[in-house]
Amino acid sequence: MKRIFSSLFLLGLIVLSCTESDDSSDTTGTTNDNFDRQAMLVYWADQLIVPGYTELSQEAQDLDDALVAFQNSVNQTTLDNLRAAYVNANLAFQNVAMYNIGPAESLDLRARLNTYPVDVTQLMANLSAGNANLALPSNRDTQGFPALDYLLYAGDDSQVLARFSTDTDATLAMDYLQQVVLAISDLCDDVLDEWTTNYRDNFVAATSSSATGSVDQLVNDFMFYYEKNLRAGKVGIPAGVFSSQPLPDTVESLYEANGKRYLLESLDAVQGFFNGNGTNSLAGYLDTLNAQKNGADLSQLINDQFDTARTQITSLQADLSNQVSTDNMSMLMAYDELQRNVVLMKVDMFSALSINVDFVDADGD
Amino acid sequence: MNTYRLILLAFLYTALSSCDNDDDNIVTDNEFVIENPATYTFERDGMSTVSFSGQTTRIQMAEEIISALKDNSRTEAELLSMFNHMENDADFADADLNSSDKNVSSKTAASFDYFNSNATEASTIVAEFEDYIQDQVNEVFPAWNNLAAAGVPGQIADGSSTRYVNAQGLEYNQAFNKHLIGALMVDQALNNYLSPGVLDEADNIANNDMGIPATDKPYTTMEHKWDEAYGYLYGTAADLSNPNATIGQDDNFLNKYLGRVEGDTDFAGIADDIYQAFKLGRAAIVAGDYDTRDEQADIIQDRISEVIAIRAVYYLQQGKLAIQNGDMGPAFHDLSEGYGFIKSLRFTRNTTTGNTYFTGQQVDDLINDLMGDGANGFWDVTPATLDALSETIAQPFAFTVAQAAN
Repeated sequence: MKRIFSSLFLLGLIVLSCTESDDSSDTTGTTNDNFDRQAMLVYWADQLIVPGYTELSQEAQDLDDALVAFQNSVNQTTLDNLRAAYVNANLAFQNVAMYNIGPAESLDLRARLNTYPVDVTQLMANLSAGNANLALPSNRDTQGFPALDYLLYAGDDSQVLARFSTDTDATLAMDYLQQVVLAISDLCDDVLDEWTTNYRDNFVAATSSSATGSVDQLVNDFMFYYEKNLRAGKVGIPAGVFSSQPLPDTVESLYEANGKRYLLESLDAVQGFFNGNGTNSLAGYLDTLNAQKNGADLSQLINDQFDTARTQITSLQADLSNQVSTDNMSMLMAYDELQRNVVLMKVDMFSALSINVDFVDADGD
Repeated sequence: MNTYRLILLAFLYTALSSCDNDDDNIVTDNEFVIENPATYTFERDGMSTVSFSGQTTRIQMAEEIISALKDNSRTEAELLSMFNHMENDADFADADLNSSDKNVSSKTAASFDYFNSNATEASTIVAEFEDYIQDQVNEVFPAWNNLAAAGVPGQIADGSSTRYVNAQGLEYNQAFNKHLIGALMVDQALNNYLSPGVLDEADNIANNDMGIPATDKPYTTMEHKWDEAYGYLYGTAADLSNPNATIGQDDNFLNKYLGRVEGDTDFAGIADDIYQAFKLGRAAIVAGDYDTRDEQADIIQDRISEVIAIRAVYYLQQGKLAIQNGDMGPAFHDLSEGYGFIKSLRFTRNTTTGNTYFTGQQVDDLINDLMGDGANGFWDVTPATLDALSETIAQPFAFTVAQAAN
């Protein structure tokens, strides 16, 4: 009797899995849900991702140029221009930081461009030694935008100018600055080149709804970025959500003291990705499926929550470190609003789109 | 044993168990009355009789060692001195550890049951720990600022962490850490302090029956031996008498990984099973009920052995997933932990045979399979090998590979 039961149960499983694989084994670009996944991938690649990397690559080139001018003459004007180029490149990066797929993933772009807080001790050791190997994982927190944030903003203007002109180690400091800037522009160029030459076509062709399909992978990358980098990294960690007390020194843009600007840019990018052009987007996909929660459109609930979070973030000080030190409650409120969209997206949206979450919290050791 | 006797036994067991449940605090087992306290708190004449400070000390020493193994400014001599600490040598950051006459190495692979008359294997195992230290210093520290590659030691990215591996992708610090869980904590608790050979040594039973404490101590020797087993699991707990409140958070050794297994819904409840067995067994000693004591020891030995095997399978399966995704850094980290847990299988205890689930030779075979798919160890290991190893490890236990895998 028991054997019959298990056989029946097994049969049920087989039938179920057959049904599921009918749903998901489609490779032609359309699925049973009548949503054109390939059109969405094409839109993502050609209207968001490649233009985003093109913009970043151009801004990184401008950063290179501003560095050359600064090297030719260290003065307040060239420093201001270099800082402006840094800000623009960093803002451009915020728009593509979520796309940790393909060449960006294999080249570790996000970690190498924006691991913070910067390890000042290690950075200074690298600077003094010269010719640091910035490809080493242990040097991720000594390069990228957080390293520029430190080198270009730590101290007052005269101290920064002295760092690269009259200080004992000025030549070493300039060499290190150049190494960091060149590593940024090389990485950005490499990622863009690979996207335009090879990866774009592979990306849009992988239309299957499975763990190896581009939709599933990029939506997971989007979710991971929103949860770990935006919600936790930019807001939750400094606010002390994951520690016994607030950690104001862990904010992005600690020395420029302008973290809110990058946080807002990042939030806009995430919401922009979610909405796309309306049709070819996660919002459009949810609407096609008529995904609802509590009688409302899920896409609308998610957009409303993005807007609520933005309102709360807009009320913060430009200097998020000072915000945490003086009024952490407002920072925690921003975290809570961001967290509400983790639930709406990671639970409700993933479920509606039949996408499995492919990341879990690490073991922690 | 025929079927009827089995059924009868099962019936009796159920009946007895339900009797137990009728009253939380008093367990009546024939002539013995066991007072089972709510927490691990035992007193004689108003003084606590619970003591396991030596175990706490050794866990704390081991913590400093595994931390120092990741500091490339350390010398081989310094690290070996930490492992083989001698009283008043300034080996540790914690001054209390320096003044202690205890150390880690003397209790590594040193249980009464497994190694008392097996000095050859014991010395081989201790030498493996010294090799981890020496190889870390001589192979990995010089490559600290190199990128690892197949056959080349150095660093490799694991998410936002940086791992330091040997030429085969193995992190020696992880091997040391996870191997020590078996060789120190599990071996001492299961095969030494919970063994009748130790609990009943010399006149322990007579003294315990009459409540005669050890010289200048509030506890009988038997009580103390049992507590020492307890200390290897709970010795650094926030609340020493109610340790499950923070299970998994109190060390980087057995406590931590019992917490991890408890966190897997397939095994939830295991932490309470073990704690209740420790508590009831200790209460049984106070009552002089050695059958009940030994039944509780069996439960602890069974379940802690299971923890080691579950974590070995878990890390092999996690490593397999990471390899399939091409994420070598995370894979090597998982497999390095798995390597240590496989090594720890040597110290598990099958309560039916009173001996290990995996002999030293069988563990060597598992390790050879794990490292042997190619010349470069983890760089070459295949998902098929990891699956086969997982099945072999799970086979003698009641859990499945699927249950342990996540």
